[in-house]
Amino acid sequence: MRKTVAILLVLLLSIAGVYAGGSSESADSDVYKIGFIGPLTGDNANYGIRCSNAARLAIDKINAAGGVGGKTLELIAEDSEGTVDKAIAGYEKLVYSDNVVAIIGPVFTSPALAVAQRAMEDEIVMISPSATHKDVTAQARNNADGKNYVFRTVPSDALQAEVASYYFYQVLGYRKLATLYAMNDYSQGLAEGLESTFTSLGGEIVSSQTCMVGDKDFRTQLSQIKSAAPEAVYIPDYTVEIAQILEQGAQLAVGPFLSSDGFSDPMVYQLAGDFTDGVVYIGPAQAEASTILTDFQAAYREAYNGDEADSFATNSYDAVNILAAAIERAGSGDRTLVRDEVAATKDFQGANGVMNFAENGDLVASQGVYHVEGTTPVYVGSFQVQNGQIVQVD
Amino acid sequence: MNTLSLYMQYIVNGITLGAIYSLIALGYTMVYGILKFINFAHGDILMVGAFTGLLVYQGLAGAAEPGAWTLLAFFIAMVISMALCAVLGVFIERVAYKPLRNANRLAPLLSAIGVSFILSNGAAWIFGTTSRRFPYPFENEPIHLGGVTITPHQILVVIVSIIMMVLLAFFVNKTRMGKAMRATSLDQNTSALMGINVNRVISLTFAIGSALAAVGGMLASFDFRVYPSMGTMTGLKAFVAAVIGGIGNIQGAMIGGVLLGILEAVGAPLLHIPNGMRDTVAFAVLIIILLVKPEGILGKNEREKV
Repeated sequence: MRKTVAILLVLLLSIAGVYAGGSSESADSDVYKIGFIGPLTGDNANYGIRCSNAARLAIDKINAAGGVGGKTLELIAEDSEGTVDKAIAGYEKLVYSDNVVAIIGPVFTSPALAVAQRAMEDEIVMISPSATHKDVTAQARNNADGKNYVFRTVPSDALQAEVASYYFYQVLGYRKLATLYAMNDYSQGLAEGLESTFTSLGGEIVSSQTCMVGDKDFRTQLSQIKSAAPEAVYIPDYTVEIAQILEQGAQLAVGPFLSSDGFSDPMVYQLAGDFTDGVVYIGPAQAEASTILTDFQAAYREAYNGDEADSFATNSYDAVNILAAAIERAGSGDRTLVRDEVAATKDFQGANGVMNFAENGDLVASQGVYHVEGTTPVYVGSFQVQNGQIVQVD
Repeated sequence: MNTLSLYMQYIVNGITLGAIYSLIALGYTMVYGILKFINFAHGDILMVGAFTGLLVYQGLAGAAEPGAWTLLAFFIAMVISMALCAVLGVFIERVAYKPLRNANRLAPLLSAIGVSFILSNGAAWIFGTTSRRFPYPFENEPIHLGGVTITPHQILVVIVSIIMMVLLAFFVNKTRMGKAMRATSLDQNTSALMGINVNRVISLTFAIGSALAAVGGMLASFDFRVYPSMGTMTGLKAFVAAVIGGIGNIQGAMIGGVLLGILEAVGAPLLHIPNGMRDTVAFAVLIIILLVKPEGILGKNEREKV
């Protein structure tokens, strides 16, 4: 509660500050304004608060070190409450009224999809620290110069599905897979991504089954999968459904199971600890332990009363630093020049390791592979697909 | 696996699911039969039953290896859970429904929804919202019969459900109190004139219905896990089962439950539609039944009798 109040207060002050400065250019000329859109109140506020905290931390650090090209950075955070409507309202204020240089966010997929479209039209850089849906960076380039303005510092779901397909096909040697996925953006996106890539490699999806989030009984689907006799079953679902599927799968002698980053929540071992042995899943790559990451985590803890930064906050921190470096190189707050420099980011040393953007604005990243032994996920390494081959990068 | 054994497998799974729905549907149907009122808090009583059962079972069995003692502990937990839920059911009736018995028909319905929220939010407050696992009180090694797989817990679910339903049928049809209950459901005022203590019959109805919900909740928790909102969807399905069978009719609730379970398991693959839409099949059948035979499969049109 105190934190929320504090953040609201900061928000209020920053807005008041903007208004006090008026819209006159002279008052703002020594400041680069950066917008942030994310849920700061409501059920999912924790994600937005951590991301904006991390962004503010990055900005304070840059300003303390002399700012960017002699000017200071200023963060203007808008609350999306995780909804499209509020995110668009916040976007319009930031872009048309506050005249920000670029936007960090939105945090969730649906608002990110909506804002990405507008950012393309208005030619302003948007960097999302957390929206993973593949379509976020697949916006039509409906602006005058046909350039991409949408970036993200989180790996796309499409990338995860691609690495998963190659790993299952080339490393594990599976040729016949079944899928069992929930009908939502996350699960369906991963399952469909896997189905298309795995098939294009020469593999076969012998059974593709669906369920709803909240379902408890998967025996019908598992029986159908069993009768299709796959070599393994891919279950890119959420923890509770995964736990049910593993247990009922064991009862019906269906398996082995392959999964996604949904499996990285340790709760699955509490719910289905007897059935997790042998599961292989694709999850976040573990960046080489760098001092940038540990320094950031320590600074975050110190600045925010011992709160721990999550992976999205880390992405948000990197996003601000990438943006600041781009503004520095551009030498101005011109939105198109800044975009060119963000796109030209090369081997940026961030808290997440070495970062580059693909042509569509996606993060070029590795994916981690984990083999579960008993109830312990064992990290195999991080993998990338290069020239049609799966390659272990560390 | 050939198609026949595949469908046999669906039916086995459907019967297990259906037995649980039946047990819970009985509570809805008995209360409706007597008070003409849908007790929407019934689903949450099954949640309370599941939590009670789980806590008592864990207290008794601890980390003991599955064996005779854990099985006994399971049944002790079941009896305690039934007793507690019976008391809770009676208490809720006294506090939240009885004062509204002569009020607008909507009033007790809204009161029931309120009780439902109090129970599920209370449980979320006390126990947290994460699901908990109900450990099997025995080695749950699957049994393979031809192409069909049956697990011991499925057998337990079906056997316990059958025993409960036989006991209930005996009570309602063969005992004096059961006769009083049937009379009250036919006509409350006349029954009162005949010397039946209607309040006692109503309390008893709530006690029995809630005790059955406790059993249903415990049996459901093997497959469904235990969490504060577990009663919502299960309760809704059981209510649908009661309507399919003919609400107010005890045999109807039993048959409706099993039918709904089988329908859920077989419906989607039979119609070649995605399994994600299985609930759509179940609810579509509900609509068809309401259109074709609104009184349910075994329902009687009470007006005809007068």
